[in-house]
Amino acid sequence: MNEWEVAAAVLGAALIGCGALAALTTVATALVALELGGTIATTILMVLSEGLQRQPFIDLALVLAVLSVLGGMVIARLLEEDL
Amino acid sequence: MSHVAATVLLAAGCALEVIAVLGAVAMRDALDRLHYVGLASYGALLCGVAILVRQSFSVIGDKALLVGVLFAVLGPALVHVTARALRTRAHGDWREDIAAHREDRQP
Repeated sequence: MNEWEVAAAVLGAALIGCGALAALTTVATALVALELGGTIATTILMVLSEGLQRQPFIDLALVLAVLSVLGGMVIARLLEEDL
Repeated sequence: MSHVAATVLLAAGCALEVIAVLGAVAMRDALDRLHYVGLASYGALLCGVAILVRQSFSVIGDKALLVGVLFAVLGPALVHVTARALRTRAHGDWREDIAAHREDRQP
């Protein structure tokens, strides 16, 4: 197990914290946890790409980075109108 | 040397993200927790730079840097949009109480 895989495991534990926050609190806090989780999940994919030398993971990370930011903005907009 | 630098950058990036999650869990309400989304963005940037230092300008290194820069640039915009949406949801209009607050502060 190299340092990149250790970092991915640590970030995976942090992602569980985001999931718990989203599941156990209010809708507004769940949105914040979703945005935080998107950033962490993207970082996990980046780190795994380097650790396992798997190039497709970095493409997944790039797509997830764009979609998590745009998705967060769309969900925030929907929450604003209380849909 | 680049191996050590990459490891230090990776550890710093992971530490920032773990601190961001701990901070988000510890805070009281959504607007307080929102501050830590920006912190996690810089953690992603540090991890991207760590991969770039390790790989140099390869396919993985370039894209990792792009992901980090994307988060660093778009992260504040995401936080702003979310804060505005949460304030509108709570008060009906994000400008609510701001004018009264300004009048109170004027001598």
